[in-house]
Amino acid sequence: MDSNKKYWKGLEELNQTPAFVEGSKGEFAESIPVEDVLNEAGLSTKTPRRDFLKALGFGLGAVSLAACNRTPVHKAVPYLIKPEEVTPGIPNYYTSTFNGQSILVKTREGRPINVEPNPNAIGLNQGLDSTTAASVLDLYDESKLKQAQLKGQDVEWSKLDGEVVKALTAAASSGKQITIVSNTVNSPSTLAAIAAFATKFPTANHVQYDAVSYSGIIEANKASFGKAVVPSYNFDKANVIVSVAADFLGTWLAGEEHTQQYAKNRDYKSLKNGKMSRHVQFESGLSMTGTNADARIAIKPSEEGATLVALYNAITGQTLAGATANKKAQKGVALAAKELVNSKGAALVVAGSNDVNVQVLVNAINVALGAYGTIIDLDNYSKQYQGSDSSFQAFLAAAKGGQVGVAFFLNSNPVYDYFKADDVKAALKQIPFTLSFAQRADETASELTAIAPASTFLESWGDANPKEGLYSIVQPTINPVFQTRQAEQSLLTWAGNTTDMYNFVKNLWSTQILAGSTKNWDAVLQTGFEYKGAKAATAPAFTGNAAAAATAIEASSKAITGEFELKLYEPSALRDGRYANNAYLQELPDPVSKVTWDNYAALNPKDAEKLGLGEDGKVTVKANGVELELPVVQQPGQAQGTVSVAVGYGRTKVGKAGNEVGKNAFPFASIINGTVQGVAKATVAKASGTYQLAQTQTHHTIEGRNVIRETTFAKYLKDPNSEAGRFTDNHKTYDLWNKYEQPGHKWVMAIDLNACTGCGACIVACNVENNIPVVGRDEVRRRREMHWLRIDRYYTIEGKDQDLTKEKEIAKASAELDFEDITVVHQPMLCQHCGHAPCETVCPVLATVHSSEGLNHMAYNRCFGTRYCANNCPFKVRRFNWFAYWNDSRFDNYLNNEFTQLVLNPDVVTRSRGVMEKCSMCIQRIQGGKLKAKIENRKVKDGDIQMACQQACSANAIIFGDANDPESEVSKALRNERVYYVLEEINVQPGIGYMTKVRNTFEA
Amino acid sequence: MSSHNESILREPLMTGKDITYAKITDDILLPVENKPNKAWWIGFTVAVLGALLWVVSVSYTFWTGIGAWGLNKTVGWAWDITDFVWWVGIGHAGTLISAVLLIFRQNWRNSINRSAEAMTIFAVICAATYVVAHMGRPWLAYWIFPLPNQFGSLWVNFNSPLVWDAFAISTYFTVSLVFWYCGLLPDIATIRDRATGLKQKIYSVLSFGWNGSVKTWQRFEIVSLILAGISTPLVLSVHTIVSMDFATSVIPGWHTTIFPPYFVAGAIFSGFAMVQTLLLILRKVMNFENYITMFHIESMNIIIMTTGSIVGVAYLTELFIAMYSRSEYEMYAFENRMLGPYAWAYWSMMTCNVISPQLFWFKKIRTSIPISWILSIVVNIGMWFERFVIIVTSLHRDYLPSSWAMFYPTWTDVGIFVGSIGLFFTLFLLFLRFLPGIAIAEVKLLLKSSSLQHKTKLAQEGAFPAEQVEYFQESLEKYDSVTEEEIKELSVRK
Repeated sequence: MDSNKKYWKGLEELNQTPAFVEGSKGEFAESIPVEDVLNEAGLSTKTPRRDFLKALGFGLGAVSLAACNRTPVHKAVPYLIKPEEVTPGIPNYYTSTFNGQSILVKTREGRPINVEPNPNAIGLNQGLDSTTAASVLDLYDESKLKQAQLKGQDVEWSKLDGEVVKALTAAASSGKQITIVSNTVNSPSTLAAIAAFATKFPTANHVQYDAVSYSGIIEANKASFGKAVVPSYNFDKANVIVSVAADFLGTWLAGEEHTQQYAKNRDYKSLKNGKMSRHVQFESGLSMTGTNADARIAIKPSEEGATLVALYNAITGQTLAGATANKKAQKGVALAAKELVNSKGAALVVAGSNDVNVQVLVNAINVALGAYGTIIDLDNYSKQYQGSDSSFQAFLAAAKGGQVGVAFFLNSNPVYDYFKADDVKAALKQIPFTLSFAQRADETASELTAIAPASTFLESWGDANPKEGLYSIVQPTINPVFQTRQAEQSLLTWAGNTTDMYNFVKNLWSTQILAGSTKNWDAVLQTGFEYKGAKAATAPAFTGNAAAAATAIEASSKAITGEFELKLYEPSALRDGRYANNAYLQELPDPVSKVTWDNYAALNPKDAEKLGLGEDGKVTVKANGVELELPVVQQPGQAQGTVSVAVGYGRTKVGKAGNEVGKNAFPFASIINGTVQGVAKATVAKASGTYQLAQTQTHHTIEGRNVIRETTFAKYLKDPNSEAGRFTDNHKTYDLWNKYEQPGHKWVMAIDLNACTGCGACIVACNVENNIPVVGRDEVRRRREMHWLRIDRYYTIEGKDQDLTKEKEIAKASAELDFEDITVVHQPMLCQHCGHAPCETVCPVLATVHSSEGLNHMAYNRCFGTRYCANNCPFKVRRFNWFAYWNDSRFDNYLNNEFTQLVLNPDVVTRSRGVMEKCSMCIQRIQGGKLKAKIENRKVKDGDIQMACQQACSANAIIFGDANDPESEVSKALRNERVYYVLEEINVQPGIGYMTKVRNTFEA
Repeated sequence: MSSHNESILREPLMTGKDITYAKITDDILLPVENKPNKAWWIGFTVAVLGALLWVVSVSYTFWTGIGAWGLNKTVGWAWDITDFVWWVGIGHAGTLISAVLLIFRQNWRNSINRSAEAMTIFAVICAATYVVAHMGRPWLAYWIFPLPNQFGSLWVNFNSPLVWDAFAISTYFTVSLVFWYCGLLPDIATIRDRATGLKQKIYSVLSFGWNGSVKTWQRFEIVSLILAGISTPLVLSVHTIVSMDFATSVIPGWHTTIFPPYFVAGAIFSGFAMVQTLLLILRKVMNFENYITMFHIESMNIIIMTTGSIVGVAYLTELFIAMYSRSEYEMYAFENRMLGPYAWAYWSMMTCNVISPQLFWFKKIRTSIPISWILSIVVNIGMWFERFVIIVTSLHRDYLPSSWAMFYPTWTDVGIFVGSIGLFFTLFLLFLRFLPGIAIAEVKLLLKSSSLQHKTKLAQEGAFPAEQVEYFQESLEKYDSVTEEEIKELSVRK
C-alpha cells in the first residue's frame, strides 16, 4: 500500500520559512569558507597557535606512523600472455632423468623447484638418493659460468665456435688426435652427437674414465666371461649376502636400486611373511652398508683378498694359498660360507675392490654359488660405469707425446680427481687446444684454453640408457638461465650439424629407440622412459683362473700391508666431488659419523688412543708419497690399523659453498694391477693443534634406553611382539585435558627401523620441500642445524660378555674392548605430532596448536620465540631461527641472492629470525591433496598424499597416511606387532609408530 | 605501634648517643642533601660502565638475533633464564621484609626495608629485561598479555606457565613499586621541607602533597598494612610461578613437585644475601652504623642460614626422589648433575648454598662483618649456579642421547649478565643519591622504644633488674657501633 505520508524535519520546513528555503538550496547548511581560505588574504593570514599545534600534531603523528614500517617493494608481474600450461599456484610435472633414474621435475610458474621419483618407472621407481633430491639446487647455483670463456675471458658463442672449429680443422689436417674425455656416457643422444662429431673429424676418439673407477669389475668380467660389462645385481633374490668392502647400499654401483631390492627382504612386509635375508659384511671402515649388516667383521684392506680366498676355499672345498690368517675373519668366513652354501642359488658375494684379481675371485665364488643368471645379470647389464683407467692413461701418454691436437672434457675434472694432477697438467700443456664443457671454471676447466659451459639437465634435451634395454628421457623444464649450451649441441655445431637438440633427440628416439615400439614420442615425454624388456639372463661359463687370481692377490696384498693401511671411500653426499658446491649435500650429515662440511681420517678409538689423540685431534696421513693433515673421527667399528678417508672434498674451484671444504684425498690413490685403487700402505702420526668437526650428533650410544627396541630374527619368529614392549595396551593413561574427536582425518606415520638404512635422502628431500636453511659449518658446530628430520645413529659396542650401550660401561671396559665389533641402528627422528604435545601447553601465545587432524601445527607469525616449546620437547625436534638465515651475509652459502632463492618452494613460507619451526608433516602437501580430492569431488585416497621424506625413501621405511582409514597402508603398518612409540611412557602419545629393529644374527 | 617501652632483654635496634629525631633526619639525608663523595662517584662510574656493557650486549642481540648467545637446538635457555630467575629471586627479600615482617611486627625491619625494597624493584627490573631480551622477536613482547586485538581471534594460552609468569612478575613489580613509593612519601616530604628552589619543587610534586597531619599518618599506616596484606601472598606466589616454568614441563630435572617451596626458600635465601651484600657496604660508606646494627646483620644471617638449610634439604630430597622413582631418565638427570660434564657447577652450588651458610651456626662468624659480606656473595654465586644447574644440566642431556649437547656462553651472554649487575647498581646508587636509604619516619619510631639510648636511660633510671641489665650488656658486646663506655654506662644509676 502506498503511503503519502510526508515527514518534515522541523517547523521551518513545515512552514517553509524564507530562511529555510534559502538554506535548503545549498548542499551544506552553512557555506564553507573555501574562498576565504584560498584567496590571497586567506593564505597570507597568520596561522593561529591552535591550528599550528593541530597541524604539528597531525604531521608528527602521520610522519611517525608512516615511518613505523618501511614497506618492502615486492614486484609481482602478471603474465601479459599467460602460457597455456602454466596456472599460477598449480605445479607442472615433467619427466626427466638424473644419474640414470627416471624422475619427475616439479615446476611452479616455470621454475623447477623439486625432484620426485617417477612412480611409473621401471627399476628405480621408489625413492631418490640424496644427490638426486638436491640436484635442483645446482640449477640456481650462482657460481656457475654465465657465458662461454676463451682464455679466461667472456666471449660470445659465435667467437668461441670460430676458434674451436679453427683448432679442430688444424688438428684434423695435421692428423692429430681429437679426444673427448668424459665420465661414463650412456646417453644414446650424447653418443650419437659424439658419433656425428667423429664423422666430421675422423681423428676424434672418446675416452671414458670415472673418478671412482669400476674398471676392475669390467676387466674381471672380460677375463671371467668374455663380457666387459658391469653386471646388474638383484639383491632381492638373495637370501644371503656377503659383502667384502662393497658399500652396495650407498655408493657402490647403484646404491639406490640395491637399497630397494635389499629392503624387500627385510622390511615389515617381508618379516610378516617370516622372511628376512642375512647380510654379512667384511670391511675396514664402517660404511653405511656395514651399519645395516647382521654381522660385520672388521678387516684391513690388505685382508680383503685373503678373506675372499678363504671364502672361496670354504665354498668350493679347494685349498688355494693366501687365505686369511685373521681369526675373526676366519670365524666369519666359516659361518658365512655355511650359510652361502646352504642357500645356493639365492646367495651372493660382492666385493668393493677395483682390483681385477679380486673381482675374478668373486666371480668364481658367485659361479660356485650359482648366482649368475638370477642374482647377477650379465645380459641386462648396467651401463652406469663404463670408464676405463687404462684408456685414460693411454690418453695422458698420447698427449704427453704431442699426438693430441684438441681435447674436450665433458663432465670430467681430472686435475682435481685424477690421483696425479701434475701428470694431467703436464699432458694438458702439450695439447694445443683444450676445452671443457664444465658448468663452472673448475680445477680442470680453469687450466684450459676455452670453456663452453653446458646447461644443466634441467635445461637440456637428452636421454639415458642406464641399463641394457632401459631408455629414459631428459627434457628441459626451463630455458637456459645463463648463456649456456648443452655439450651435445656444441659438438653438433662444431661438426657443422645445425639440427637443434630437440629434433636431434626426437629423431634419434623415433628412428632408433622407439622403432618397433607401440609408444610414440609424446607418450615417452609423458611416461619418461622406454623399456625394451629384460633379456633372458644366462649363466655364462667361467673362463677365469681363480688360482692365479689368488696368487696375484697375495702379492698385491703384501704391498699394501703396513703399520697403517689407508682406504679411500666415496662419501654418499658429495660422491666424487661433483656435488661439492651443493649446500644441501655439504650439510647432509654423513650417515655413519654424522660429520658435515668436512672430510676426516677415521681411526679406531684404540688407535687414536695409541697415537695420543684427544678430542678434536688431528693427524698427518702419509701414503704413496702424499701427505695430508686431517681432523680425526674416532670411529667405532673401524678396523684397527686402518684409516679411512673420503674423497670428493678439498675442491678449490667449485664455488662459494664448496671451495676449501675438507682436503682432497684423491692423490692418495695409485695404479695397482692396471686399475686405480684407493688402498695404500700408510703412516699416521699425531699432528699439532686441534680441529673441531661439525657433527650433528656427538653422543653415540643409547645409554640403555628403550628409545630403540631391537630383537633378533629368531626371537621374532617365535614371538613377533618380541622386545616391542608396548606400554599403551596394558597401561592406563590419563588425560588432563578434554579429549577432542578427530572425525575427518588423523594423519600418522609408521617408520620401519628394519628398512631404514640411514642414507639421509629423506633429509635432503625435506630440506628442498620445506625451504629449510643451510646454516654452515660454524653453526653446525654450535649444534644449530635446522634439519626438521634427522637420523639418529647409535652404536652398541660388543663387549666380552654383553653388549654395551652406556658411555660409562664402555669407558670402564675400554681396556679390553677392541671397538671393532659393534652393531648400529638408525632412527629417523622428526616431530612426533604428539597427541599430548608438551610443546603445545607451554607456548604462551598459542603459536603451536593441535589440529583436528591430529597434527601439531606451528603458526610462525604468532611465534615470538621464547623457545619454551623446544625445551619441553622430549624429542628435541624443534628448530629455532637463531638468525635471519635468508638475508644475513654470514650465511652466504647459497640463498643470499635473489637468483638462488628461486629454488624455494612457494607453498612454504621462509621463516624469519626469532621463530621456531619444525616438521609440519608437509602440511602443504596434505592441503594440496585434500583440495585436489575436493575438486574431483571424491574422498582423499590412501597414497594421494605423500610426504617428501616418504617419497624420497627408497627402502619404503616411512609410511604416512590416515589412521581413521583402517585399510590405509599406515593403519595396517601400525597394527604390526613390532610397532612401539618412542617415549610413550611419558604419555605424550606420539603420532609416529616405530617398528623394532630385527637383526638376523648368527647366535640366535 | 611501637612507641612503648620495650624489654631490656631485647637487643637495641638503634645505637649511638644523643640521637634526636632531627639527628636521624640529618644522618639519613646526608647523602641526599650533599654532593656525593668520591666513593659514590667511583662506584657509580663502574656501575654505569657495566650498564653500558648491558646496553651494548642487548643491542647486539637485538640487532643480530638470539644466535649471538651460546644456545643451541638442545639447550634453548641458559644464561638468560638463569639470570632472570636469579634476579627475581633476589627481589624476594624486599617484599618479605616490607610485608611479611611488617605483619609479624618485626620492627627491626624498619631500618632495612627501604633499601631492601629498592633492591627488589631494581632486581625485578633487571629480571624483566631478560623476559623481553630472551625472546626471538622481542618487539612482539606485548603479545604475552591478553590484549583485545584485531589480529583475529588471537588470545594467550592460559595453560602456559609463561603467561602466569608475566602476570606474576608484573603484579609483583607493581605492588612492590606502590608499596615502596607509599613508604617513601613521608620521607620525600621531609626532604621537600628541608630543600629549596627547584629541588623543593620536584620533591613537592613527588610527595603527593603530604602534609603530616594525623589523618595522613593514619591513612599511611592503614595503606601500609593493606599493601602488606596484598604483598604477602606474592612472596609465595611469584617464585612458585617461576618454579612452575620448570615444574610443569616433562624434562627430567625440571618435572619436580618440590619446586615451588624449594624455589621460594631459595629466593628468600638469595634475597637476604643480596640485602646483606648491599647493607654492609651502605652502613659503612653512609655512616649508618647506628641504624643498621649488628642485630640486623645477625638476624639476616640467621635467616640466610635457615633458608639455606631448607634449600639444602630440598637438594637432598630431589636426589632421594630421583633414586626412589626408579625412572631411568630421572635418575640419569641427577647422576649427570653430580658426575657429568657440568659437575663442577653442581658442586659449586652445593658448596656455596648448602655448606657455606652452615658456618653461620657459629656466632663469631655470623657477627663478623667481613665474613658475613663474603658469605653473602658466596651465597649469591651459589644461587646463580643453582639456576644454571637446574636449567642447563637438565636440558643438555634429556631423553634422546642423540641430541645431547653442551652449552658454551658467548661474550654476549656474559656481557648481558655482567651488564645487568651494572644496571642494578646504577639504579641503586642513583636511589641512594636522591632518596633516603633508610626509612626516616619508620626508624624514628624506634628511637623512643628500641634504641640503646632509650634503654640506657631507662636502665639508669633503674627500671630493670640488675641481672637483666647485665644480660643486656653482654648482648651488646657483639655490636661494632657500641663502645665499652656505653656498655658500662648502662649500670651507672642516675
